[in-house]
Amino acid sequence: MSTVATAQTKWWGGGKSPFNVEYGKVMMWYFLMSDTFTFAGFLLAYGSVRFSANSWPDANEVYNSFPFAPEGTHAPLIFVSIMTFILILSSVTMVLAVQAGHHNNKKAVVRNLILTILGGIAFLSCQAWEWTHLYHEGAWWGRNPFLNVDGTPGAVNFTNFFFTITGFHGFHVFTGVLINIIMLIMTLNNTFEKRGHYLMIEKAGLYWHFVDLVWVFVFTCFYLI
Amino acid sequence: MSNEAVLHANIGEAHDVHSNHQTHHHETFITKYVFSQDHKMISKQFLITGMVWAIIGGLFSVLFRLQLGFPDTSFPWLEDILGKWWAEGGHITPQGYYALVTIHGTVLVFFVLTAGLSGTFANFLIPLQVGARDMASPFMNMLSYWFFFIAGIIMLASIFVETGPFSGGWTAYPPLSALGDTSPGSKIGMDLWLISLALFVVSSLLGGLNYIATILNMRTKGMSMTRMPLTVWAMLFTAILGVLSFPVLFSGFILLIFDRNFGTSFYLSDIFIASTNTALPNEGGSAILYQHLFWFLGHPEVYIIMLPAMGMVSEIISVNTRKPIFGYIAMVGSLFAIATLSFLVWAHHMFVTGLNPFLGSIFALLTLLIAIPSSIKVFNWLTTLWRGSIRFSPGMLFALGFVSMFISGGLTGIWMGNATIDIHIHDTYFIIAHFHLVMGVASIFGMFAGVYHWFPKMYGRYMNTTAAYIHFWITLIGAYLIFWPMHYTGLAGMPRRYYDYSIWESFKQFAELNKSISIVVIITFLTQFLFIINFFHSIWRGRKVTSTNPWKSNTLEWTTPINPGHGNWPGEIPEVYRGPYDYGKDGIDFIPQTTPIGAEESGHH
Amino acid sequence: MEYTTTPPSQAQYEAAKKEIIKVTWVLSVLTVIELMLGFWLYKSPEMSEGMRWAVKGVIIILMLAKAFYIVAYFMHLKHELKNFIMTIVLPIISFIWIVFSFLHDGNSYKELRNDYNPHPHTKVQKTTTPAHGVEGKK
Repeated sequence: MSTVATAQTKWWGGGKSPFNVEYGKVMMWYFLMSDTFTFAGFLLAYGSVRFSANSWPDANEVYNSFPFAPEGTHAPLIFVSIMTFILILSSVTMVLAVQAGHHNNKKAVVRNLILTILGGIAFLSCQAWEWTHLYHEGAWWGRNPFLNVDGTPGAVNFTNFFFTITGFHGFHVFTGVLINIIMLIMTLNNTFEKRGHYLMIEKAGLYWHFVDLVWVFVFTCFYLI
Repeated sequence: MSNEAVLHANIGEAHDVHSNHQTHHHETFITKYVFSQDHKMISKQFLITGMVWAIIGGLFSVLFRLQLGFPDTSFPWLEDILGKWWAEGGHITPQGYYALVTIHGTVLVFFVLTAGLSGTFANFLIPLQVGARDMASPFMNMLSYWFFFIAGIIMLASIFVETGPFSGGWTAYPPLSALGDTSPGSKIGMDLWLISLALFVVSSLLGGLNYIATILNMRTKGMSMTRMPLTVWAMLFTAILGVLSFPVLFSGFILLIFDRNFGTSFYLSDIFIASTNTALPNEGGSAILYQHLFWFLGHPEVYIIMLPAMGMVSEIISVNTRKPIFGYIAMVGSLFAIATLSFLVWAHHMFVTGLNPFLGSIFALLTLLIAIPSSIKVFNWLTTLWRGSIRFSPGMLFALGFVSMFISGGLTGIWMGNATIDIHIHDTYFIIAHFHLVMGVASIFGMFAGVYHWFPKMYGRYMNTTAAYIHFWITLIGAYLIFWPMHYTGLAGMPRRYYDYSIWESFKQFAELNKSISIVVIITFLTQFLFIINFFHSIWRGRKVTSTNPWKSNTLEWTTPINPGHGNWPGEIPEVYRGPYDYGKDGIDFIPQTTPIGAEESGHH
Repeated sequence: MEYTTTPPSQAQYEAAKKEIIKVTWVLSVLTVIELMLGFWLYKSPEMSEGMRWAVKGVIIILMLAKAFYIVAYFMHLKHELKNFIMTIVLPIISFIWIVFSFLHDGNSYKELRNDYNPHPHTKVQKTTTPAHGVEGKK
């Protein structure tokens, strides 16, 4: 959306939005700020506990398989990079849907929304597979079969935090997919066409990108470092 | 530009179909009084629910003060009313005592002083004072109240479960709060407590987002940010604090729920429970971590409670001294500074928990910085009073009481902000005295001031002034009589949260003092019913307001009809031409914000 | 009106799409570099502790860069008014202090547990092995 922004405009003068956006977008952004602090709370807790541990399992020894891999495969980072790219690509299709919405291009909106939803479902499936795999290896809340780097019994908070935080993120992906499905139905029903604008898709898009954004942090904190 | 366009653009956006305020509009009892989307009605719902909770929370304090003041006396009627779990043989039981203390704290901090205070006045004043028809999203506003209501119901239910409500203190520190075997209150009562507060966070989030969006986006034409009354500024910062700090508490609670129910060890490590004679497998967690997460909310929460009261008091003092508030920009700046600092100082609640002393010293430094904006505010209030033509209306009296409480409670904050002094007075009655004066009583005074001042706008009637004066003086004297002596007992080392001091050689000497405090508590508590009766009596029987602007005030809410309907202004929303504090300017008593700047007028902003 | 917009032109649509493609590439490249660094960490157990920290620091900087691109372009924040950008960015700055104090206190808790001596004035034989063996790589 191109905004009419001139230096002369008294943005704070009252009678208009100081940001030239509708209130729903303001709310969505500040809700995301709030959610940032929720995830920050989790990740800070994780960081704090990890810094207080004498040793910690090596992520590469834990997340080293992928579906249909033969027994004994040792391929760290492969599966999670696929998940990461799925989420990035679904974010791309989402932003394309938002752009199409600005041009009232219903066909492109529908196409890109469907792709985004598929991406979201694919990501959730990957996560479901990974959780199941770890569960069968003996990991769960309160159980950590993976040894620490120094060979001592695994810090149990490794799995505790992994399941809690990726679970909370997965829950966000899940609600994001639901929201996108609702957006798709509303688009197909011409709700936005009648309203004259697709601004609601923009807000759904913000939420979806936020989910991607959180994954950037979760991915780094749990798999890379 | 028309405000109607704004309104309808938004209404279309959020599918709200309620607001045909000018066309004929049927409202049923349900839509008008129960599932109302009118911000004025929602604010009254918050207020009355808050009052109910204030009575419950206050009553609890009376009950545990009975134990503290009269540890050897038996009150058989207590058992008749409360049952064996709470008061066996007419004595408050230890478990009952801790449950009372915990629920007293939780209820007053969250349900009364957060929801009851900012829920009421942010809802009521923001749209009226910025010149909006309603909140940005009236529907979310309604949800905010109902989430609060459900949270309250669950908290209420927890009082009646077999093992009692949560009883580990309102801060709910693990491991006590995480392990059901450690205390009866940590069983189902704690689960209900957590669910209730999680819902409360949702309510606060829904409300807060609405307040921010309304203040930013829905101001009427000419209402620039620097023309907003200080109440609205205060509500804005309150909402920002709530939106950014409650989620951290929420994540802390989620981790606690996992520790309680799913065998995780986020907060638990190396624990042996004597009551069941078991060593727990939990390992690697940190109880200090919970305190970090809790106080990351907990400290901003203090300002969530304080700021609305500060804002209302600024407005009320200016109106009733017939003088502009001294240093408007400094007042806004100090609100901003307080809000910012509140995010950076949380660990000053944790100086003695094993927090790293180096970090503690930085936290002490940042904490002491808060004294600067706080004293700016105090001096500005005092300077506003200086040579003003003060009207001692009930609202004004309570506003002055607020300033008094804020000073006397705030000064001791400087003591505790220093980590070294805090080691001595931490967890003593000194800190009880400090935070009850500065946060509890001061904010309650702000709330009373707001209710007395804006009652004519809420209900179109006045409250009884004589009853208000009696209420004020007894409450003021009572509050000081209750909390002032606690400074001494605290400095003498008397710890908080003990069940019975009479068995301690060091604290026996305070028996008479404790007794007199308890008596004052009872008298002060009973006096509050004068307010309650006055409030409800005046809704139906109070003297009617005859002019739209009874306090001769400048702000926009007094340009609405005496009983404004849904949509607030029957015609166009008025335009604003000046700041809200043009009192006594050029010899004119007051100039409402809607008056255009005159040709001959002296400097204005 | 609360806000004003002008309908975007076809040229703007194309430019916006181009920008999206560009950002997609940037994100992909950053991710690949991150993965390579992560793999390097894994494949070099002999790497010194200081070097590990440095590589992890680079990964964190790349993470922040990715976050910037997502927020600025996908979430469109860069094209909003400066007023709005500031309201988002300013609260985020507080994280500098928050992250520092949480991590610092976590570390301090570890040292407290490893080295805590309840009787500092009576000479106690200090146990050398903490609960989890020697300090491993983080």
